[in-house]
Amino acid sequence: MHNQLKFRLPDEYNQQQLTSALADHYVIKKELPALKRMAIYDTFDWRLFNKSFVLYMSEKKLFLRKLFKNALIHSAAITSPPVFIRDFPDGELKERLSPVLKMRALLKLIELHSRLTAHRILNQDDKTVARLVYEEIKPARGKNAPILAIYLWLQPVKGYTKDCQNLTKHLEEAGFAACKKEDIYFKAIEVAGKSPGSYSSKLKIQLDPAMRSDEASKTILRYLLQIMKINEANLEKDLDTEFLHDYRVAIRRTRSALGQIKSVFPQNTTGRFKKNFSFVGKLSNQLRDIDVYLLKEDVFKAMLPPVLRNDIDPLFDYLKKKRSKAFKHVISGFGSDKYRKILQDWEAFLDEPVQDPPLASDADLPIITLAKKRIYTQYRRIVADGSQILENTDDEKLHALRIECKKLRYMMEFFSSLFPRKKINSLIAQLKTLQDNLGDFNDLFVQKKYLLNIAEELPVTGQKHKKVLVAIGSLIGTLGREKQIIKDALAKTFTNYASPPNKKAFSELFASGQKETVP
Amino acid sequence: MTTLAIYSNKGGVGKTAAAVNLSYLAAQTGAKTLICDLDPQSSATYYFRVKPKLKSGAKGFIKGGKQINKSIKGTDYENLDLLPADFTLRNLDAAFDKLKRPKERLGKIIKPFKAEYDLIIFDCPVTISTLAENIFNASEFILVPLIPTTLSVRTHRQLLSFCRKNKYDTSKIYAFFSMVDRRKKMHKELMAMMLKEFNGVLRSLIPYLSQIERMGIDREPVAASAPGSVASKAYQNLWAKFQEATLANPSI
Repeated sequence: MHNQLKFRLPDEYNQQQLTSALADHYVIKKELPALKRMAIYDTFDWRLFNKSFVLYMSEKKLFLRKLFKNALIHSAAITSPPVFIRDFPDGELKERLSPVLKMRALLKLIELHSRLTAHRILNQDDKTVARLVYEEIKPARGKNAPILAIYLWLQPVKGYTKDCQNLTKHLEEAGFAACKKEDIYFKAIEVAGKSPGSYSSKLKIQLDPAMRSDEASKTILRYLLQIMKINEANLEKDLDTEFLHDYRVAIRRTRSALGQIKSVFPQNTTGRFKKNFSFVGKLSNQLRDIDVYLLKEDVFKAMLPPVLRNDIDPLFDYLKKKRSKAFKHVISGFGSDKYRKILQDWEAFLDEPVQDPPLASDADLPIITLAKKRIYTQYRRIVADGSQILENTDDEKLHALRIECKKLRYMMEFFSSLFPRKKINSLIAQLKTLQDNLGDFNDLFVQKKYLLNIAEELPVTGQKHKKVLVAIGSLIGTLGREKQIIKDALAKTFTNYASPPNKKAFSELFASGQKETVP
Repeated sequence: MTTLAIYSNKGGVGKTAAAVNLSYLAAQTGAKTLICDLDPQSSATYYFRVKPKLKSGAKGFIKGGKQINKSIKGTDYENLDLLPADFTLRNLDAAFDKLKRPKERLGKIIKPFKAEYDLIIFDCPVTISTLAENIFNASEFILVPLIPTTLSVRTHRQLLSFCRKNKYDTSKIYAFFSMVDRRKKMHKELMAMMLKEFNGVLRSLIPYLSQIERMGIDREPVAASAPGSVASKAYQNLWAKFQEATLANPSI
């Protein structure tokens, strides 16, 4: 039904009252109640909710609608509950959600039971001119679960508009309120103990400009530790690759913060934790590498000429085997004494109150001052380095430039609450363009190396071995050509980034109090 | 979208009963279905308890588009809508003849509804004039109920020779046995003969049943009012056989 109306029942109104109230005015035929199960899905990081989508499965069908809307956007038949977008049947629904879900797994947020009782409103020919459906919604689990909502749906029948209008008027007079600003989604998610949008891999750190720098740093680092913990706890289930990814980004950001927000903690403390997090990061390097290649399986295959596409399968089979070992390595690493001690030590340090007098030279500087100084210095460094590197492009140096950009990006994100939102976001967006370009370049560089190495380890022999080597060779060739294309584009992206208006924007936002200007 | 005409140039053979039940069964499988009652006697419309009234009558019908959309009524069943008949449809032939390309009007009229419906079923009046040619042009498939009698054989031969003469594709014509009394020896013999003589005869038969006649009292498809009944099962079987045959037809 596309244009059905939803009403809320007046207080203390039950189904029986409804039936008898209607019977005074209409000939009604009550049908047998029908039970429907309905499960709501989203990814761990609420990708659907963030786009105002509600995806649910009922009676072997998937339905997509927008929050607060009853009309369905798409639906599709499906035999088993969906996990990845590749499990969806080909069609509009898959096309719509593919760019939203990407590689993330869907989780069942809650299962609901809905009990629907239809009342057909008949005219003098006993023809149905409208349906009133009384719906009771409950969580599926728990016998005594409370009723989450009772709705009355008015479903018009095509060609009987007048009857429907009369009925609407009648219901409104009887105290039924049309509820447009209500969605069962929220009540259902709440009863499941979840809160929509509660997790995001994006940083949302609120700082006060006058805050002491060591205090602000700890706020940032505590936030990152939370992200690490949340993802670490879910990693064991191995639902998708992104728990590990988010976990690793949090580690990288932590290491970057320790290195970039200088002189806020005693040097030996910073040094010790930097070393510790380097160890923690390395623990999962191999697993992430493999994940990246497996995620790219289709992309890589598409790069190959069709005749070679199946020949490369031994590579991916090998990587899949290797992955399960790498995964076990990470999980056992998480259980190790050394790892647990590092994290405990870190948490204890972050929970310690900051000391007076401060333990490091910049510890009691207002964070706004330190943030401006660090961001501006880093920007100038990138502009200076980048100009030199692009004159005689060198793969290794471009890699170094990418790391410097990443450091700047992290700092701008850590401190974004200290600056006007629009301005800083636009500068971050610009930096992102440059980073994407450098990132693509680096990926291709690293992939080439990785493929060359892995080709030597492949446990295949004979004809198959020859074939897979030819396929890998062809892939490396394509990657090399792509790399050149990206390299050519890089100069332009960088020129934009170091352009006078951009330099001005940076200096306006971050240079106050500093005399230097961008060279 | 598929268009199917339940058609016969002989009266009283069970066209409307078939059209009503098949459209109901199709809608039950989830196909968005529209049944168009083209018969001014409006029996299909009556079975669905809808008033036999078109907005602006046959004139509105010929205009098509919005005029028709306003006339379409939802039935009591999910996915099934009805375009009611109207007594003024009795002049449809004459009205078509006054227009350009008079044999392609029906196809034009239903064209806007092809996006909205998965299946359009025509319940046709007895005709072999301009309206019949409109039906042949507008329908992907034509399904003819055949009573196993000599007169039925004659009319079906007439239909086929008319189609051949006027270059209508006879491979889209399917038939099924209707109002069959299996106790009658003649029915059996004629069915065997017709299966031999005609292409596209489905191995499916609707028996002569009072249950089907009762539809006039119940005003419901028998497949809905008595889903487990012999009559309902016969229509289910017919729908399955029709789908089998059309899916296997390489010309589609």
